[in-house]
Amino acid sequence: MFFVDDLLLRTLGLSLPGFDMIWMLEQVQKFAYKDLYNPEKIKNQIKETRLLYEFGEIAREEYERKNSELMRKLRLAQKAEEMNLSSRTDILG
Amino acid sequence: MARRVLRAERQAPEGKGKYAYCVIRCPSERESFGDIGFEGEEVYSLDYRDLAPVVSDVAFREYAVNEAEVETHRKVAEQVMKKYSVLPVAYGMAFKTRKLLQIAMGAGYQAMQKALQVVDGKVELGIKLFLPKELEDWTAGEKEECRSDFLASLRNKAEDSKELKLFSDRLILNAAFLVDGARIEEFSEQVDKLAMKFEKPKLQYSGPWPAYNFVDIHILGSKRKGFR
Repeated sequence: MFFVDDLLLRTLGLSLPGFDMIWMLEQVQKFAYKDLYNPEKIKNQIKETRLLYEFGEIAREEYERKNSELMRKLRLAQKAEEMNLSSRTDILG
Repeated sequence: MARRVLRAERQAPEGKGKYAYCVIRCPSERESFGDIGFEGEEVYSLDYRDLAPVVSDVAFREYAVNEAEVETHRKVAEQVMKKYSVLPVAYGMAFKTRKLLQIAMGAGYQAMQKALQVVDGKVELGIKLFLPKELEDWTAGEKEECRSDFLASLRNKAEDSKELKLFSDRLILNAAFLVDGARIEEFSEQVDKLAMKFEKPKLQYSGPWPAYNFVDIHILGSKRKGFR
């Protein structure tokens, strides 16, 4: 069986508007996930939230709510990183 | 002393490991720091040549980042540093047996000796300068003037200093200073002077802490959590 996909077309220097659009959407989605689930960025947000609380800019309740939300997000991001979800493996060779 | 330590270990319940909080120079005999460890366990010193890891007996489990537990780790190190120069150990360093802890101590012995000379009689003090919301439009020049003035003045009162990561756009300085125990007051007076000169940014002056940012010894790989 022979699959014609965007990668093959790209290799051949061809482009189909439909495939291009899908490829672009995939890149946008990939970038958005990378940004949303970047463990370093989440750790920075955790530290910033703590500082805001220590400087009295947010109340204890708000700090606790935000902190537990960010910790949950961090665990998720670390798990995603361990599983390397962003890379695809071509099992057909 | 060794006999005493061994007796303490025999008393530890079955299936328990050792959680290391910090390392100190070996006291003349086993020292207890009270029941301030995880799960209210006793924190005490073991011996490895002329060094002593400060540990408590812990159950087998993973040490995920959790504010309350990090706080326990920090409080123990702070308690110990009231009496001893402390080599801080990263959070989450637990060992299945005393033997494994000894292997780690052996692997890091020379580096720990050197590090202890660096931190002996010294403490870490932290400075953070944070812009209030209404000052978010401070120019790069204004931020730089404030940052460099703080750094230059405080470096004169410290043995060493380190600029740390700016984890927020509103943070203009995040620095740690290694200060001789006898010069803490002098350092604090300088901080007060700077705070009067730059009234607008919010200042967080913290410490004394164990010298976390001036000791960087990696033993048995970079894995930081769980049992070894």
